[in-house]
Amino acid sequence: MRKSLLLVVALSLLLGVMPAAAQTKIDVPVWIAFTDAIRLGWAQDRAAEFNAMHPEYNVTVQGYANYEELFAATALAAEQGSLPAVVQYFEVATQNARDSGYFKSIADALAGRTEVLGHEVNLDDFIAPVSAYYTLDGKFTSMPWNTSSAIWFSNMNYLNAAGVEIPSTWAEVEAACEAIMALENAPEYCFTFPNHGWFFEQWIAQQNGVYANNDNGRSARATEVLLGGEAGVALLNWLDDMAAKGYLYYSGAQGGASWGTVDQAFQSQQVAMAAYSSSDTAVYTQTGIDNGFEVVASFLPYNQETGWTGNLIGGASLWLVDGLAPEVEDGALGYLLYITNAENAASWHQVTGYIAIRQSAIDLLTEQGWYDENPNFRVASDQLSQSTVTVATSGAILGGFPSIRNVVTQAVDTVLLTDQPAEAVLANAIASANAILTEYNLLYAE
Amino acid sequence: MQFLVIGMIAVVGAAYLARRFSQSGLKPAFGAVVGAVVGMIGSAALMIPLDWCTFDPDRTATDMGFGILLMAATAALALGATGWIAGNLAARRTVFSGGTQPGTFKGWLTPWILLAPTIGVLALFLYYPSLDTFRLSTLLALLGAPRTRFICVDNFTRLATDTVYLNSVATTILISIAIVVISLVLSLFIASMVYLPIKGASVYRTLLIWPYAISPAVAGVIFLLLFNPTGGIINYALNNLFGLRIPWLNDPAWAPWAVIIASVWKSLGYNILFYLAGLQNVPKDLIEAAAIDGANALQRFRQVVLPMLSPITFFLVITNMTYAFFETFGTIDYLTGGGPLNSTTTMMYNIFLVGIRNNDLGKAAAQSIVLFVLVIGFTVLQFRTAGQRVTYGA
Amino acid sequence: MASIAQESALERVKVNPAASLLPKRWYAHLTLWIACFLIGFPLFYSILVSTQTNSDVFAYRFEPGTAFANNWNTVMVFGNLGNFMLNSVIVSVAVTVGKVVLSLLAGLAFVYFRFPGKWLVFGFVLVTLMMPTEILIIALFRFVNQLGWGNTYLALIVPFIASATGAFLFRQHFANIPAELSEAAQLDGATPIQFLIRVLIPISWNTIGALTVIQFVYAWNMYLWPALIIQGQASQVVQVGLRTLMGADQGISFGPLMLAAVVASLPPLVVFLLLQKQFMSGFALSRDK
Repeated sequence: MRKSLLLVVALSLLLGVMPAAAQTKIDVPVWIAFTDAIRLGWAQDRAAEFNAMHPEYNVTVQGYANYEELFAATALAAEQGSLPAVVQYFEVATQNARDSGYFKSIADALAGRTEVLGHEVNLDDFIAPVSAYYTLDGKFTSMPWNTSSAIWFSNMNYLNAAGVEIPSTWAEVEAACEAIMALENAPEYCFTFPNHGWFFEQWIAQQNGVYANNDNGRSARATEVLLGGEAGVALLNWLDDMAAKGYLYYSGAQGGASWGTVDQAFQSQQVAMAAYSSSDTAVYTQTGIDNGFEVVASFLPYNQETGWTGNLIGGASLWLVDGLAPEVEDGALGYLLYITNAENAASWHQVTGYIAIRQSAIDLLTEQGWYDENPNFRVASDQLSQSTVTVATSGAILGGFPSIRNVVTQAVDTVLLTDQPAEAVLANAIASANAILTEYNLLYAE
Repeated sequence: MQFLVIGMIAVVGAAYLARRFSQSGLKPAFGAVVGAVVGMIGSAALMIPLDWCTFDPDRTATDMGFGILLMAATAALALGATGWIAGNLAARRTVFSGGTQPGTFKGWLTPWILLAPTIGVLALFLYYPSLDTFRLSTLLALLGAPRTRFICVDNFTRLATDTVYLNSVATTILISIAIVVISLVLSLFIASMVYLPIKGASVYRTLLIWPYAISPAVAGVIFLLLFNPTGGIINYALNNLFGLRIPWLNDPAWAPWAVIIASVWKSLGYNILFYLAGLQNVPKDLIEAAAIDGANALQRFRQVVLPMLSPITFFLVITNMTYAFFETFGTIDYLTGGGPLNSTTTMMYNIFLVGIRNNDLGKAAAQSIVLFVLVIGFTVLQFRTAGQRVTYGA
Repeated sequence: MASIAQESALERVKVNPAASLLPKRWYAHLTLWIACFLIGFPLFYSILVSTQTNSDVFAYRFEPGTAFANNWNTVMVFGNLGNFMLNSVIVSVAVTVGKVVLSLLAGLAFVYFRFPGKWLVFGFVLVTLMMPTEILIIALFRFVNQLGWGNTYLALIVPFIASATGAFLFRQHFANIPAELSEAAQLDGATPIQFLIRVLIPISWNTIGALTVIQFVYAWNMYLWPALIIQGQASQVVQVGLRTLMGADQGISFGPLMLAAVVASLPPLVVFLLLQKQFMSGFALSRDK
């Protein structure tokens, strides 16, 4: 019996080391936060092409369910020393990326090279708002890939029937809703948005509201969270009002996973309008074609009291893990450069709706007449290029931001689902967020 | 201050053990000495690793009170154990050696070898991490951060004002009581039907108990489909039958019920199975008579069958409670992600949100310890209250 | 499964009594029909949806769809389900075998030996019944990583191969076996291990079967721990792997998700149904006497 026990132990030992063994190619694992066929599939197809071009490499792309899960997974993997070569980090993790030491800046890794494995570098080709956003401490830090903005989708069947224009301000949203909900075959609700902290950030940036002190954490490490102050209260009050009037459909906030319910509501015409990421412009447009309604994208409606300053860049970028073997690092860089070359940047934009990040890609698309034929796809880049660059619209960089974002999501939940006044809810959220930030700075700041 | 507390605990310990010793027929004076020593050691057991930090001058009164509570608790534990061991020793029971089973093998080394793997694995993977959890709970520690900071018992005392945490305690209580009550009542009812001498009982049995093998995670996935706000078949049915549309996953009042229904569905099979096994110990005609309609039969069921099932019920309450505390995690993670508005964030799920999603190891460790104490306290309470009323034998 | 179908066919023939319109104890049949329907419906509907597209689901099309092949492809290629299933099988079998073996050895030591400190060891094992791994998960994560076992099967297997439940189950079972058996074995000069293999195990199959079911289902259903300790899909188990089909964005595709959920449930269901009798009697035995 003891022998068989030994056998079991030996067997499990053998199995334990198995995945590490039996590899001859250079593995380049890439972790991204997409699991859908369109985006994960696209990245995997590019990996297959890259591997075919460079037979010595084996780039594998693994999908996680969302940014929040991937962020947690990265911290866990770092703890066990099993980080992949490339991780897709969302924008709120920037401070953590900077402090954790997990990553190496793209500029450092390139070390002035103009090509890696035959793939051209040309960082100057990235459009201005993009290269500004991903340049940190004067260095090109992470590779932009899926850059988006929050935009507005309208089901024109409802809007036309109600005889209203696409709204561009909060007041116009309300007026449009009044007309739409008075329709004979009105939808269940007028509009919805994924209750994800990102939309709060977008809506306060529009009002030129600042998220954190020290110029949103850009002139020095942020030490205090402001959550837009008045702008935050105004937003919460508006949302609360829209929910109370039965216009806003609260679609739930399942962790970071509240996006799907909005897709479903818009697709099944439960709502007439939705705020969403431009990342899904292709899906939303196609949804309308499949289900017999016209979908038009527009700028995210803003608070008419404060006017529109601009919107934030959103989405995530691809970070290169530090301490890789040189050949692995080159493989990772090569793959990053390959998927962001002009042709692929254009294709990525076309299959998703993320903005085309290279001037050469935009030129290519313009030449093909893409934007003229598909006006929905130009909304996000127009919204970003027309934005005034201020501290607020540059977006915040602060420690513990992923946790703080959860606090904000919670605050929006509280306003929508309870009777608590917006001022008090926001004050509580600021207190909780500050506690998180203080603890973070205590452990990370020099 | 701390010396005053130790002194008081030593006096109480001396008095307590003196009484216990004299009850067991030992010398009270000896008990008083042992009690004083054990009381002192016991009260210092947690304070020495904490370096008496709760008594630091810059600490709040809450911290100090919490520290005194800790000292009292550890001392009580040590004193209770000592009293019990002494009582057993005095009664000349062979506490430190095996039973008197005939037919035992010789040799003292062989049993240790046989037990070594079990002891080793439990020590390394249960006991050691428990100790490390205690250590972590005194730290401000973020996963991946370059340093940690000792913050005494702050992780514990701050829980008292943490609304999200307090909310998770209430949620845990609601979800676990609902699961236990609903699942046990339903399964007893169904089991007593299957146990009737009816045709096809074994087929029914198989068709009823299989969800035991389904995982809590898959149960979450399945009910995500059924409760989905768009295209959920349950609302479709409710709407067609009664004109109802329930916001299962979007309303903090309903979401816990979505979790409860999914969990009851998953745990019903297990409970039916055990009630069936329990009913085997009850004479058939009793059940048959009891299952026939009529107040009299119901009474008989209550007075005759139910008491005979009480050991099983007792066992099932504990396992279902454990299920509700811990295993619902997978269901919640797939079904609601703890929301909306934390309405389905149980204590266990909160540990995950705080420790893993927010990287805050220290706070999560403190919450783990509170949950641990709660589970032990609950189990002991169950043994003390229900245990006395449970009818053994049959 | 075949035998169950046959049995039910037989039962159906017998149930129809010519004497009365309603079968005997019709109320029990009615209750049980309803109960079986309510319990069976969620899985049945999941199987149905696994052949459908999202449009079918949202339109409440209550009939098999045409997307099965498509869903299967999605599940296997994007979902990586084959790999996850294999990992789950390896881990669950290893944990189950390990637990049964270690529990048998512990039960043997507890019942057939007298040794100093037995009481302490007993208490040491007993207390772990109240220590769910979930509570220690963060410290366990750190410790297992220090051992360098992160991302390996070892992390999923070794911490779980000791079982207090199993040790006590066998202890109770062995304690009910007449002492004459071990006395006779000792007269024959058998070592404890020989006694275990030749005498105890052959009369313990019900208990072993019961423990196998519990532990296999337990190991197969592990969720939080693998989600923490396994980062990277190569060694991930299927319960966590399902998350790859739960994309946050672009809505959930229910067809592939349900297909994967159903497939992920098959092995524990099969083990459970195969060992159902042992499971029932293994527990009945341990309590009866």
